Amino acid sequence: MRLQLWGVAFVLPALLFFVFFKYGPMGWAFWLSFTSYDMLAPPRFVGVANFAGLAGDPVFLQSLQNTLVYIVASTTLVTLVALLLALAVSTRVPGARVCMSGIFLTNVMPIIAVCLVWRFLLHPHGLVNQLLAPFGAGRIDWLTSNATAMPAIVLVTVWRFAPYFMVVFVAALAAIPAEYYEAAAIDGTRGLNRFRYITLPLLLPQLFFVIVVAALLSARLFLMPYIITGGGPGGATRVLSMLIYETGFSYLKMGRAAAISVVLFAIVLALTLAQMKLFMRHEET
Amino acid sequence: MGRRLLRWLGLVPLAGLTVLVLLPVLWMLSTSFQASEKMFQLAMEWIPAVWHPENYPNALHRAPFPLFFTNSLIVSTVVMVGNVVFCTLAGYGLAKFRFPGDRFALLAILSTLMLPLEVTLVPTFLIVHSLGWLNTYQGIFAPLLVDAFGIFLMRQFVLGVPSDYLQAARIDGAGELRILWKIVLPQCKPALAVLALFAFRDSWDQFLWPLAVVSRDEYRTYPLGLVRFAEDYGNPQTEQMAVAVMATIPVFVLFLLLQRLLKKGFGLTGLKG
Amino acid sequence: MTTRRDFLRRTSVGAAAVGVLGIPAFGAAQGAPTRAPVKLTFWTWENPQQRPWLKKRIDQYTQQYPNVSVEFQYFAFSDLGKKVSIGYATGTAPDGYTTGDWLMPTWLTRKLIVPLDVQQLGYASLDAFRDDHAPAFVAGAIHEGKAYGYPLWFYGVLNHVNTKQFKEVGLDPVKDEPKTWEQLGEVAKRLTVKDGSKFTRQGFKWAMHASQWTAFQFNPILLQAGGQWFDKDGKCTVNNEAGVRAMTIRAAMVKQYGAEDPADSLATAPVPWMDWLKERAAMFSAPPIGPQAIKPINPAMEAEGYYKAYLMPGVSDDKRYSTCYGFNCVINVHASKEKQDVLHHMYRFIMSDLLDCWKATAPLTLARKSGWTDYPEVKSTPNIQAILRAKDTGVFLPRTPVWSELADAMHRAVQKVTLANGDIKVALNEAAAEVDRATAELKKG
Repeated sequence: MRLQLWGVAFVLPALLFFVFFKYGPMGWAFWLSFTSYDMLAPPRFVGVANFAGLAGDPVFLQSLQNTLVYIVASTTLVTLVALLLALAVSTRVPGARVCMSGIFLTNVMPIIAVCLVWRFLLHPHGLVNQLLAPFGAGRIDWLTSNATAMPAIVLVTVWRFAPYFMVVFVAALAAIPAEYYEAAAIDGTRGLNRFRYITLPLLLPQLFFVIVVAALLSARLFLMPYIITGGGPGGATRVLSMLIYETGFSYLKMGRAAAISVVLFAIVLALTLAQMKLFMRHEET
Repeated sequence: MGRRLLRWLGLVPLAGLTVLVLLPVLWMLSTSFQASEKMFQLAMEWIPAVWHPENYPNALHRAPFPLFFTNSLIVSTVVMVGNVVFCTLAGYGLAKFRFPGDRFALLAILSTLMLPLEVTLVPTFLIVHSLGWLNTYQGIFAPLLVDAFGIFLMRQFVLGVPSDYLQAARIDGAGELRILWKIVLPQCKPALAVLALFAFRDSWDQFLWPLAVVSRDEYRTYPLGLVRFAEDYGNPQTEQMAVAVMATIPVFVLFLLLQRLLKKGFGLTGLKG
Repeated sequence: MTTRRDFLRRTSVGAAAVGVLGIPAFGAAQGAPTRAPVKLTFWTWENPQQRPWLKKRIDQYTQQYPNVSVEFQYFAFSDLGKKVSIGYATGTAPDGYTTGDWLMPTWLTRKLIVPLDVQQLGYASLDAFRDDHAPAFVAGAIHEGKAYGYPLWFYGVLNHVNTKQFKEVGLDPVKDEPKTWEQLGEVAKRLTVKDGSKFTRQGFKWAMHASQWTAFQFNPILLQAGGQWFDKDGKCTVNNEAGVRAMTIRAAMVKQYGAEDPADSLATAPVPWMDWLKERAAMFSAPPIGPQAIKPINPAMEAEGYYKAYLMPGVSDDKRYSTCYGFNCVINVHASKEKQDVLHHMYRFIMSDLLDCWKATAPLTLARKSGWTDYPEVKSTPNIQAILRAKDTGVFLPRTPVWSELADAMHRAVQKVTLANGDIKVALNEAAAEVDRATAELKKG
């Protein structure tokens, strides 16, 4: 009982902060989805008109589909690449640490420079195509063709965020006590089995973290598609977060933007709940 | 002997991968020393034929970047400290204590990440405005002081600290705060390093919130300055790259400082059986 | 404590120093509206020539009228609209600011800006104000018999060509000026240089990087083809026969003449004319581009002067109008009466030395007709005839509160047609449906 109170006490400061700075505005945003609000005049109640309008809007539906594809592809690839990178830089290959620092640089570059550089590299006659030419790729219009635009955005996302999560995994790997590996070595467990039966279970908490957070990040992210492809071509890379930004700030339809946000919220909540169910089974107190 | 050779051989693909991954960063670095006509030259000149290091001081003179960088440093440092304190407390509470509604609390905390800033901007702005904090440092950092990512991160790492240690300490009569300070935190150094790094880094790049709150150069953070600088086509884009390189440095330095804590050897010792 | 005589003497000295010609004169008669201390906020957008000049003029004003202090702030162009909107939403909008004239319906329909007192701006009547400005500008600033925007710059869109490349392929930059869309296509074809399937040089380039540019480049083609954006009931008609004709013209450069590669562009938001500057495209449609814009990226072109600006082509050589757009100073409806008066006074002062404006911001033209075009400095500017004609004969952008949605819809349509080889009618139908949906949302909401 006393411990329960302590638990609450530890969590309370953060929760109070959220009540003040987050839950109020979030509640307002939910209410806003039932209004028409252009920021310049007070909001006006319109019931479910915003949501009804979304159902019949091909641009919204296309963005919804793009978002689902983007979240699944990005999350999977980011997690996988982050884990592989972390394993690679945690080996005892000399210079591995230096490589880790180098790789982390991709996450530190200012986003505006990232977008500028990648737009240039993915140009039809840019570096990426130049590097792929010897493999017979020919000219690929990465950012202007329907088939490759979304993969290009996923590529840049993975490039940018796998190193971020690599650091999480590296920290997690560092926290695995050496004794566990020593015991495994005595048992004769090596290589892939060692990874499967010792490392991976110990990484589960961070795996949970990375998957949930990667999904959350890819749901929120919009600067990259916004600057690199502008949502194009023809809306092929417009994701919901970008649509929210445009609807709210360019079209000045904040009520509608809030409605789209509610849809996005529902998707992300569902995903997170599913992941919580999956992972928290394995947690012990 | 063979194993050592194997390890050195392993460096080749790893280093190759690193260079490949870093090509965009290297391009940014190379362009920052180029003359502006060379920008966007598709036939890339990785090593500038003529070096233009004056891009750096020029950029700093064209716009008050030293001021902008200072502002960003101040804000990000405060955000980092705030997150390290509050997220650790909350993460620990969620990881090692069971109380009614603890799963719901985690979900409620994560939910703060599920609505984009665009739709919560106006009410958050009004809150900060009502406190009189427009165009101030606290106006920028206040809503960023506790981030759900950090809480979740700490929770997941603290889960890895064996509860036996905590039980043992309690039986010995140690107080809760002492347990946190003396037992849990020392084992969480990698996690704390990651938390500090991420909190600083996420705040460093923030754009939309500072844009809303700040209208004066006095408090402008560097992303706002850089975007405005980029809009002015009289500013050579190579100077933009120079600013971008400079913006990369503080977070990278922080990373280098903290990455010692990511080394192995901070696992458990002792207390067997 | 200044006496009235000191005060008047200072203003007349100020006026003489400013060297004004033409109406409206900012002469000794213009005392400040108040001597009490006034603090104003004024926001504008970032531009290497315009912003420093505005700041300079405002500083000169506050020096002459020390009771007025102005907090001058500027933002990236795309951010200014956001900041002002957030400002209105939260009661922190600036007292005065600049806005694009295509956004006037946004402020006007919600009554967020003050109707201006043209007499305080130096005009005897609204008709005098109207007559002194380019017609296309006035259409956006005057609403229900009142003027709401005080014009700054206003430009027409031109066809910028690289004369060195013209001569290379045996074209004469004067005689071979393309006057119709067909001629443009033919000239562009001759200017195109290819290396296998790769374009070393595109003959003519359309902007593909931002929806605003797509819209303003498409606007005159639509009107020339006899189409219009909306019918009298407000329904979008870009997908009718004239619209299809217009889109065919737009797509002809790549589909019919093979002179353009829509996927190959290095344009960025601050420098949409990058491909032209880098000599990867021989011709490009844009507002006036002056030496200061050329020099940072192509110093050789600026030094040797091998560039020229023509009027855009037309469906016939007497219908060569293009889009024009401009910027106004406006006043926040929530500003106090005193601040409104001072802002009128300040705006008038800012625009009372148009020669100085031209020297700082050439070749960006002004909306006002009088008081500047006769100066030798103006007349000697390269291409000035074409620049002025483009401004004076240009057509304005559709004045609609769903401008952003319209631009985005057209951008998607153009992408579908030129990048994905989509059917023109289908793409236009989708665009029109998007615009109609946006209009309906607006009416409902």
